[in-house]
Amino acid sequence: MVRRRIAVVGLAALLLTGGGGVVGLHHGSDNVDAAPAAAAPVDRLAAGIARAQQRLRVVPGDYVTWAALGSAYVERARISADPSYYPKAEGALRRSLTVRSDGNAAALVGLGALANARHEFAAARDLARRALRIDPYSATAYGVLADAQTQLGDPGAATSAVQRMLDLRPGLAAYARASYDLEQHGRLAEAESLMRRALEAAVDPADIAFCRYQLGELAWQTGRLDAASAEYSAGRATDRSYLPLLAGQARVADALGRTGEALAGYAELTVRYPTPGYLIEYAELLRAVGQRAGADEQLALAAAALGLFAANGGTDDLGAAQLALAQDRPAYAVRAARREWSRRHFADVADVLGWALHQAGSDAQGLLYARRASALGARNAGYLFHLGMIELALGKTGDARRDLSAALALNRHFSPRYAPVAEAALSQLGAR
Amino acid sequence: MRRLWLGLAGLGIVGVVLALPAAPASAHPLGNFSVNQALALDLHPTRVRVAAVVDLAELPTLQERAAVAAESGVGYNARACDALAHDVAVRVNGHRLGWTVRPTGFEYRPGNAGLQTTRITCALEANTDLAVPSTVDVANGYRADRIGWRELTATGHGVHPVDPPIPARSVSDGLRTYPTDLLGSPLDQRSARFRVEPGDGIAAIGPATQANRGDPVSGWVAGADRVLERLVGGRLTPLVGLLAVVLALALGAGHAALPGHGKTVMAAYLAGRQGRPRDALVVGATVTLTHTGGVLVLGLLLTTAAGLAGEVVLGWLGIASGILVAAVGVAMLAAALRRRTPGHHHHNHDNHHGPSHDHHHGPSHDHHHSHDHSHDHHPHSAGRGRRLGLIGMGVAGGLVPSPSALVVLLGAIGLGQTAFGVLLVIAYGVGMAGTLTAAGLLLIRLRDRFSARPRRTLTRLARLAPASSAALVLCVGLGLASRAAIGLG
Repeated sequence: MVRRRIAVVGLAALLLTGGGGVVGLHHGSDNVDAAPAAAAPVDRLAAGIARAQQRLRVVPGDYVTWAALGSAYVERARISADPSYYPKAEGALRRSLTVRSDGNAAALVGLGALANARHEFAAARDLARRALRIDPYSATAYGVLADAQTQLGDPGAATSAVQRMLDLRPGLAAYARASYDLEQHGRLAEAESLMRRALEAAVDPADIAFCRYQLGELAWQTGRLDAASAEYSAGRATDRSYLPLLAGQARVADALGRTGEALAGYAELTVRYPTPGYLIEYAELLRAVGQRAGADEQLALAAAALGLFAANGGTDDLGAAQLALAQDRPAYAVRAARREWSRRHFADVADVLGWALHQAGSDAQGLLYARRASALGARNAGYLFHLGMIELALGKTGDARRDLSAALALNRHFSPRYAPVAEAALSQLGAR
Repeated sequence: MRRLWLGLAGLGIVGVVLALPAAPASAHPLGNFSVNQALALDLHPTRVRVAAVVDLAELPTLQERAAVAAESGVGYNARACDALAHDVAVRVNGHRLGWTVRPTGFEYRPGNAGLQTTRITCALEANTDLAVPSTVDVANGYRADRIGWRELTATGHGVHPVDPPIPARSVSDGLRTYPTDLLGSPLDQRSARFRVEPGDGIAAIGPATQANRGDPVSGWVAGADRVLERLVGGRLTPLVGLLAVVLALALGAGHAALPGHGKTVMAAYLAGRQGRPRDALVVGATVTLTHTGGVLVLGLLLTTAAGLAGEVVLGWLGIASGILVAAVGVAMLAAALRRRTPGHHHHNHDNHHGPSHDHHHGPSHDHHHSHDHSHDHHPHSAGRGRRLGLIGMGVAGGLVPSPSALVVLLGAIGLGQTAFGVLLVIAYGVGMAGTLTAAGLLLIRLRDRFSARPRRTLTRLARLAPASSAALVLCVGLGLASRAAIGLG
């Protein structure tokens, strides 16, 4: 009797322990999926954040949820353009790593996404690689790696990371990245069709607005103003809070000669979202319509925004170079762009460095970088304009005629300040 | 039980906040281009006042520099307050108040990167009638499209808001220090609606701030809980593991010593049924198994199904536990009453037929009974029913999981140390069983002492015992169930 009872108790204990094992097993498999998709939906995102906060109040040792919460904060910052979520994200992700430092791929992926958001691309690349050593099947880690490699100027590595991500989890995040990768290689038609697939996969308003904006940009790059306008409007109709759409609409309005509307759009955008890039764009437009004082005011704001970015621990010498160019300070632009180039060999950096060198009078050097910007085959009117102007300065009139024509053929309205310059140069060359 | 659960959850958060590295000081929770606002409503019987603070981060400050320069600080302050008053709508019983606006301050403060921030304050005031019960609506639409912290508070003077959805005091000290809790989203309180009644009364403080029970045992258990949670949260070495198991044993024992674990019921049951030491052991073993299983199942549920509130589940389990105890009480009562009524057919067989009764009844039935009769003190308590009753008592005692065991298990799962968590929960159950078994054995010992000395009154009492103890068990069961039900509601 006693022996039987012991046996029963033993069996029960075994079953219970087995049950616990199943719990552990289930939890372990969570590990793989816990990192939220790069383009997580905003509505569900808010709900997910609230749930994770609630849960962590009860279970403060749950490192998986800490990692998910940190990644969700990064997402929130991206969608709402609200950088105050970055310190929160870092706190949550570091907390996850404190609780569990070994084998915590989700937290590393989250930190990698955060590093990308802060323009710390080399750190992001290393974090993604560390995460992949732990979990070679993490699609989100490949996403972080792809973003970092693109920005660092390693297109081969970027493409293969995107391909892995597509293989592992074909969906909105993978399609959007693949589309950007194709765009870098000048394959704009394929980029557009992939972005359409991303749009089909998008459910939440913020994601749909994101895809519409990208489709609008692709149309804009090839000068299809009506198509671009339609995409931006569709995006605004879905989610008015997605601010980049305002910039797209302002650009199209200006191209169509509706300058007042364009200025109002930029004013609204920069009041709500004063980032250096948009402030410089706004200043260029103000300058093009002759409002020098207004332009200087916006450039001062851009300088302050860059100063704040630096004060918060960020480094953006590309932005600093673009600002210096807009302020007609080419020598400083060259120094800043060189600093950025020493960190990463991205096409945009090559383009800005080449143009800065040209402005500073070093046309021969500038030509090398300007060619480098288009080396992958990117079809970008801005790159082509810079290249053509440098070639013109070097007396390579044939090349200049070809590249300036190509720039204007792509998008006759590529810049309110420089499109007229390109037109004038071409007519001087006698080739229109 | 509920209170202990809430208390533990609270302790968990405190632990998190303390364990975090200090966040870098940031003037603005929402970054350098936020526009942050706090509106503090003062409700009086005849008027409403609003003290408004607007805190512009560095970039908005810079963006408005030209406006400030154009109309001077005072003029800018006045215009900003007019714009704010235009967009802050307070309605009493649906009638929008018309504000008298008084700009009260404009100043620059040092911000990040050598830049400045702006602090604008305004006082809005309007006459109204809050001397009778009214509904107040607040809606803040000022610069609604800007990213920013938005806060609403309300206090009454001579009137009081009834269960207002907004607090009485600012959590940011009027936009001076923004909370940096990792588990809190920035405040974005744009509107509120509540009843206001005449008479003084400060807005009720939330139930979460209620303290733990003050008795020393609760305090000791809560302290040990914290130590155990910290052990689970730290790095696991063999020594720490051993220590944690010992602590879990002690905690389980201490937990069972707290009121509400059916010890009264068990005592009544053992007394009423003339239980033996073995019975106390059965109760203890059942408590361990039920408690361990219950915590594991609940842990699994809470881990997989997010959004399931632990408290609610505990409440339902409390009801189930009470009903189970009550059911055992009913069964005991029925048995006791049956025993009182004579003429039961077993008696007749035993007395009149003797050995020959085998032929009149089914062999198995009779064999079973004759077997029982020869070994048992009282002929009417069938062995199976007795054991079921004991197990019922044990299940009832272990059915409501100890919240601290649950927290430790969930914590261990979160740390990826599920097996360790299960081990600790088992240790918990064993500790509980130890206390309950010891209590049971003590009771049996005491009872035997008394019955060893034959006294007439006691003997008479003992004859009454089965019925009265059954009634007691029933009452306690109903009490437990209704207490849990009240807790749920």
